[in-house]
Amino acid sequence: MKVTIKKWTGVATWKWVANDDNCGICRMAFDGCCPDCKLPGDDCPLVWGQCSHCFHMHCIVKWLQSQPVNQQCPMCRQEWKFNNK
Amino acid sequence: MSLKPRKVDFAATWGAIRDTIRGVITLDHVPRSVWNDRFSDVYSLCVAHPEPMADRLYAETKQYLIDHVARLLNKVQEDGEAHLVKNYFTYWSQYSVGSQYLHSLYLYLNQQHIRTHKMSDAEIIYGSPDSSGGEQMEIGELALEVWQSGMIAPLGLRLVKLLLEAIDADRAQKTLPVSIEAIRGTILSFVEVQGYKKKAPLQLYQELFEEPFLNASGEHFKHDAARLLQERDVSLYMEKVKVKIEEELFRARRFLHSSSLAKVSQRCETHMVAEHLEFLYSECMNMVRGERRRDLSNMYDLLKSVQNAMQILVETVLEHIKTQGLTAVGNLQGENVHINFVENLLTVYNKYKQLIQEVFKSDQNFMGALDKACNYVINHRPNGGKCPCRSPELLAKYCDTLLKKSSKGISESEIEEKLAQSITIFKYIDDKDVFQKFYSRMLAKRLIHQQTQSMDAEETMINRLKQACGYEFTSKLHRMFTDMSVSADLNNKFQVYLKQDNIDLGINFGIYVLQAGAWPLGQAIVTPFSLPQQLEKSVQMFESFYHHRFNGRKLTWLHHLCQAELRLGHLKKSYVVTVQTFQMAILLLFESTNSLTCKEIRDTLQLNTEHFYRHAISLVESKLLWADTEELKETTVLRLNMDYSNKRTKFRITAAVQKESQQEVEQTINSVEEDRKMYLQAAIVRIMKSRKVLKHNALIQEVYAQSKVSFAPSVQLIKKCIESLIDKQYIERTAHSSEEYSYVA
Repeated sequence: MKVTIKKWTGVATWKWVANDDNCGICRMAFDGCCPDCKLPGDDCPLVWGQCSHCFHMHCIVKWLQSQPVNQQCPMCRQEWKFNNK
Repeated sequence: MSLKPRKVDFAATWGAIRDTIRGVITLDHVPRSVWNDRFSDVYSLCVAHPEPMADRLYAETKQYLIDHVARLLNKVQEDGEAHLVKNYFTYWSQYSVGSQYLHSLYLYLNQQHIRTHKMSDAEIIYGSPDSSGGEQMEIGELALEVWQSGMIAPLGLRLVKLLLEAIDADRAQKTLPVSIEAIRGTILSFVEVQGYKKKAPLQLYQELFEEPFLNASGEHFKHDAARLLQERDVSLYMEKVKVKIEEELFRARRFLHSSSLAKVSQRCETHMVAEHLEFLYSECMNMVRGERRRDLSNMYDLLKSVQNAMQILVETVLEHIKTQGLTAVGNLQGENVHINFVENLLTVYNKYKQLIQEVFKSDQNFMGALDKACNYVINHRPNGGKCPCRSPELLAKYCDTLLKKSSKGISESEIEEKLAQSITIFKYIDDKDVFQKFYSRMLAKRLIHQQTQSMDAEETMINRLKQACGYEFTSKLHRMFTDMSVSADLNNKFQVYLKQDNIDLGINFGIYVLQAGAWPLGQAIVTPFSLPQQLEKSVQMFESFYHHRFNGRKLTWLHHLCQAELRLGHLKKSYVVTVQTFQMAILLLFESTNSLTCKEIRDTLQLNTEHFYRHAISLVESKLLWADTEELKETTVLRLNMDYSNKRTKFRITAAVQKESQQEVEQTINSVEEDRKMYLQAAIVRIMKSRKVLKHNALIQEVYAQSKVSFAPSVQLIKKCIESLIDKQYIERTAHSSEEYSYVA
């Protein structure tokens, strides 16, 4: 072997990939954070429902807490279930 | 003896008392028994039956004192003018002590008769309706009062004249006609004689003596100043004036009442400094230029006491520091511009700070001048303001040099200190946001390329910046740090995952996963790139691992930031070399052959032209590859240099990184411009949202105040931002005035 790789340090950036640009609840961009947070990133994650809709985690949790009876997706009115695929 | 009131023969008793008074007031011998008898005589007169005779006793005593003082007056004048002061002082010493004894002798009269009739303090100070004469005084006071009217009134002016002559003689360093004690005693007698007065006790002293004295001294000072001025030498003049003031204060302390000290030095300063400011200023410039510490310190001492006189000196110093600062940082050239720039500035700053502390006693005015001068120098734009100010960039570079691994030969504590010092300069920078841009870019590079000397030092520095500029200023820098620790964690987890599934990547793999928004990586120049097969497995494995853990995230590889350590096995010695991914990819292609054309390499790697040539050149320049033409073209053949040798067995090829910098500087400056617009627009919206309606000028002011922390926006830029917000319908002009805006909800 003339040239062997001893070690390689990769650099990558990550971004959310959602089916929409904005959170349907707070209307803030997914690249940004929910209105209660200061900084986007790991501390203000996105979550997906089984209906495939996506929100800031903080936003949907707040929404679900405000709905005492039927826990529905605010977009499609299906029953809300976290998608833990 | 009974204390009961009884009938008393006034004439007989007064006769006895009078004889004793004579003994007391002249400090003659008075036997104790006699003293005791007179004491009770005073008592019996005061309580005499059927009529108390206190008033009569008082009147007789007063008359006696008046007669006594009149006799003394003759004695004082007996020996003529030459002995006037001496005699006055002799008799005054006797009389003043005697009168105190007399006061005790009349204790009963004082306490029971006079004090009960006396006016209260309040009545004295605010005046009472019946303060019209006839008031009886305690005997001690009475005696002094009599002295004042019977002695000082007729003699005062003559005494003062003689006193002034004596002081003049003292100034001329001639022998004094009278003893110092007599002069001082005489002068102070003017104070003591009114010592009992509650209201304006110094009045007599001030009117009779102090005023003429100050006027005479004033004349003297004027004269002296004129004499000194003839030598036309400012530093000599100042020396002499300082000595003069000291002398006069010493003299005043010897002769005068302590209340006069300040007045004397003030007179002196008025006549010797304030009236000759022009003369002093004439040398100011040269003094400051030559940094003649002694002269400057004298000048400061003299000017300090004169109102508003300091300004010119302060301004001269300011100009001087400016000039020195600009010379120190002007025309810097070479590779170490940033180091020279910062260190020269610090030298200038520390030098003048020290000067101000030592010479000007850290006077606020001068500290302010230093601040102004530094601010001017650091934010100075060369070529009449056309060129951008380079200070933020140079300072950031300076910090970078210190924080990078490569800074050798300085200890950690030295680095710490230098970084702490650089904050001094940072505080003066107007365009702090530009500094932040450069700093964060360099920090990103240090972190990604693992060039940080110590994480502690980095953190301390960021905390210092935070202290100077607030949380918002450093939040992005903090996010970068968070990503670093998150990545370290991720690497560990990935290794565990690999172990569990028994996967061998074939290489030592590490990764940094960064938040897209937090890093100042610019518009990453995206280039197509086909990954060398040696890496494919690692990348795939990691991507699947990452997607499994973090749902909904997309990874973008930034190959231009990745780096690799390669072992070169084709040379005599085995070398370990650190290269960037693209360089690595090029080198890997030589596995099966020793020569390739540029076109072949490019086709395999799919790199765009610019990237390819840049990295190929860096390899040729480092002599790892040979090129058969001077300039690289499609047809150029690249050959592996089989005879390569290097003293070190471990090294890094960095050329390609550095070549980017000039372009990056421009990019950075442009991105600052964009950021400022966003910042200002956000500020305007915030302000308008809370105020609803605001006048144009008020708005500009508030925006300015908010953004001052990180940069000084031009009014034009703010106006532009207002315009664009009106276009975007965030705000609008109110109907009745074009100078007023309202917020559109």
